[in-house]
Amino acid sequence: MRDRRGDEEFERESESRRAGVMGSEVDSDNESDHEFDQAMAWAAARNGETVVAADRIESDDRADESAENGARVQVDDRTDVDVAARVDASRAARPAAVDPLAFDSRDPESPRRPASVITRRRLLQAAAGFQIGVVVSRFDSTKWLIGRPGDGAATADAAAALQEAGSAVGTFIRIDPSGVCTIITPKPDIGQGVRTSLSMLVAEELEVDWEAVRIEQAPPDGAFGGQGVGGSGSIRQGWTPLRTAGATARTMLIAEAAESWGVPASECEARVGVVHHPPSGRELSYGDLAAGAGSRPVPPASSIRLKSPAEWRIISKATGRVDNEDVVRGVAKFGLDARPEGMLHAVIARPTAIGAVLESTDETAALAVPGVVAVVVMPEGVGVVAQNTWAAIKGREALRARWSAGPHAELDSAAIRRDLIAAAGEPAAMPGGAVTIVEASYELPFLAHATMEPMNATVDARADRAEVWIPNQNPPSVQGSVARQLGLPNAAVTVHTPLGGGSFGRRAGTEAATEAARLSRRVGAPVQVLWTRDDDMRQGFFRPASHHVLRGGLDADGRPVGWSHRAAFDTPFGAGRPWAPGTYSMPGFQADMIESSTPVSTGIWRSVDHSNLVPPTECFIDRLAEAAGMDPVAFRLAHIRSERMRHLVEVAAERIGWGGELQFGFGRGIAVFEGYGSRIAQAAEVSVTPDGRVRVHRMACAVDCGVAINPGTVRAQIEGGVADGISTALHAEITIRGGAVVQSNYGDYGWLRIDGMPEVDIYIAESSDAPGGMGEVGYPAVSPAIFNAIYSATGIAPTRFPVRAADLAGWAGAVPPTATPTAVEPTPEPTPESTTRPGPDPSDEHMIFMPRAETGRTGGAR
Amino acid sequence: MPTYTLTVNGEPRSFDATDDMPLLWALRDLLNLTGAKYGCGEGVCGACTVHLDGEAVRSCITPLRLLDGARITTIEGLSDDGDHPLQRAWVAEDVPQCGYCQAGQIMSAAAMLVKTSSPDDDQIDAVMSEHVCRCGTYQRIRAAIHRAAAEVK
Repeated sequence: MRDRRGDEEFERESESRRAGVMGSEVDSDNESDHEFDQAMAWAAARNGETVVAADRIESDDRADESAENGARVQVDDRTDVDVAARVDASRAARPAAVDPLAFDSRDPESPRRPASVITRRRLLQAAAGFQIGVVVSRFDSTKWLIGRPGDGAATADAAAALQEAGSAVGTFIRIDPSGVCTIITPKPDIGQGVRTSLSMLVAEELEVDWEAVRIEQAPPDGAFGGQGVGGSGSIRQGWTPLRTAGATARTMLIAEAAESWGVPASECEARVGVVHHPPSGRELSYGDLAAGAGSRPVPPASSIRLKSPAEWRIISKATGRVDNEDVVRGVAKFGLDARPEGMLHAVIARPTAIGAVLESTDETAALAVPGVVAVVVMPEGVGVVAQNTWAAIKGREALRARWSAGPHAELDSAAIRRDLIAAAGEPAAMPGGAVTIVEASYELPFLAHATMEPMNATVDARADRAEVWIPNQNPPSVQGSVARQLGLPNAAVTVHTPLGGGSFGRRAGTEAATEAARLSRRVGAPVQVLWTRDDDMRQGFFRPASHHVLRGGLDADGRPVGWSHRAAFDTPFGAGRPWAPGTYSMPGFQADMIESSTPVSTGIWRSVDHSNLVPPTECFIDRLAEAAGMDPVAFRLAHIRSERMRHLVEVAAERIGWGGELQFGFGRGIAVFEGYGSRIAQAAEVSVTPDGRVRVHRMACAVDCGVAINPGTVRAQIEGGVADGISTALHAEITIRGGAVVQSNYGDYGWLRIDGMPEVDIYIAESSDAPGGMGEVGYPAVSPAIFNAIYSATGIAPTRFPVRAADLAGWAGAVPPTATPTAVEPTPEPTPESTTRPGPDPSDEHMIFMPRAETGRTGGAR
Repeated sequence: MPTYTLTVNGEPRSFDATDDMPLLWALRDLLNLTGAKYGCGEGVCGACTVHLDGEAVRSCITPLRLLDGARITTIEGLSDDGDHPLQRAWVAEDVPQCGYCQAGQIMSAAAMLVKTSSPDDDQIDAVMSEHVCRCGTYQRIRAAIHRAAAEVK
């Protein structure tokens, strides 16, 4: 649910941007909250939830269209087969009864092997010691609530408090009499590491042995506050409330010990699960104190003292993921590993093109496939339910579902590109003082999320309740979607959040859950719906394609006096939003996002609209620098507003060897990004073969994310951002032909593999500031850094993402004689024809030839 | 429907299945061994990698009809207690992000180390580029393989 305050703040800030744009420092934290809110609101709209601020979120129509994926088939309730009989038969045929709790049955002796899924009932009954809940509004004063085992009233109170407080975040701590401490983590982990990093915040202040802490995944519950993940919000939202939760529990444990000893609490201290009284040498373990501490009044938040950074033992230490042991043993449970008793498997024959209508199927042939138990015509397509996944897949093949060509049969990437170019129009005129005018246009493709674990959900739908297993980005959203689908109250829907095999925005969509709910109710058994890779690649929603026109003006001294950037795309957050990065201090800055909707379903993808907007911006900065006769690093240092960011630019440049000699065919580039409460500079060293093949050899990344809660995760997110940046700079795109997505698997959607992964050097700035987000931060500047490095290497400034070898082929022959590169070593893989091959065709509209700076190639090699 | 008997992680396992069923689905859906993952169904991502008589194979494209009597090792059976040098190295290097592809990565690396005890980066890349890690853990995968190789020596 959107928070109204967030909306009002957003409106105020939008107003100020419209009025002044680049004139004032953008508060990155405020920006970040909006980014999180927008991501959540977009997902809510997509999943059919009530959306406040529908004026900015183009909600209902688009959500409906994408949720149904254009299918216009009639729901058919015919009993095609004796479903019940077949389901019963399939149950009898199952090789072994599967323990319904097998999904959470980890080795209880191993504290490092936490259950990833718990039910609410088990959560409340399991606690024999005490249980503490903290509910803290993101915007409001702290509210504390304490619950006894099985005491549902506390939870209800918490939920009521949340209603007042608006969006909130909270958690539970449980300490049992044996001293085992359990942290119930409210947010889903989809690879970003929050099961570890959020728990670190609690454990630090609780003062317990990190290695002995158990982690449990929270069910959807208002008591836990906002549980959505997106917009790099989790750590920023958890930073204060989760530490406060731990510190409050610690304070109560100390108070209990002090009272039992008859000494002042100020003489006692907590260390690693034990309260000590140094004057007398007495000590009591948390397990001994738990029951008593749990019955104490909760101290006011204002009385809670948080540790100083010097006292930290866990925060800011690189900490391995809590699920690593399970992952390397193959026992970590992802969504597709759910195995409720009697579960059937399903795949769905989906429309072959956007808006295609089902014309015919051969259900008899499908039902003849051994193991197939039901064929269900549904709005999403034709569900084939079977005893195992393979039978479902074979049954779907046998269906030979025929679809109409659909209303968009003529739609292809070229037509979409034409529309985007038309929508982008012309950049604004530069002010009178502009002596030098620089122009460029850039285009970016649709991108799929292509999570390693494809979309899936498992639902056991009963008449009066349902149980759901789905990797997701927002458990309450899943709960609401399934409840609406089945006509049940939310409270009757139990949602398990297993580990998610990647997400990058994709699991904000909950359609697999509603599909599985529909099928489960239809066949009267738990059903696991698998989106095969082909389904996942072609039927989801996509990072929008975009077209950008930019114009910049420099005065006689090479100082920027104007900047116009018009970006046309199907933005996740709607049209007309002015966009103004606060990174550069530039007069006359104007940036506009122009909505250009397409029938292709689009939505949030890692770094959301920054993934579209930052690459053109950062490439164009280099073009302006060149026109100003300045080195790209020097130009950035001259115009970047923040001292912290300038420091990062200097560090990244130094670490990549900026200014040092370059072999022929090698180049260096740099780009920066600020957002989500963090900032980063990323520099690339690349080589380009004469036939246009690009390799990224090294990346130097300098990040300032405030306190790095888990430096290991900060690094991991940057490494992942680099891999995504290389993939989208050089390889991956989704194209449309005949109204359908062309790509269908990792074979033709060319994501980076290990042989293209460079050495990534990461610098994390020392900081005592509150932590910024990291999930999105490592991505947006990578592809422009690579593009800028390609220009440094070749003199060709690529303008379409991903760059094709054909865009660069022959660059070596196109190098003007006046700019003979410093040939330290021979060209890698020289080929005779490369020296005679003509340069790129200047009429190619994808390419913009820029005059070389007289100072020589950028990125060094003076 | 034919009956197949395979030795899976040292145990004989018999089950009925169609002869075109890929090993992956027999492991996951019939034997409840969910460590091998479905990623692509075409043998191009490596998430489903298991050992067939010691060789790394893509279980998603290996039909049962080729396998009667075969000896299969999955990630669950790679070691008795998660103590294979690669499993320890994967934890030590904190490799996993989402973790979904890692079982397949480890199984390929384990088969490689049997043949090439001290692979260099190029040898690692040649084998491991059959895999996709969508989170981009590649740098750590390389480091973990080197660490495990050094430990075994």
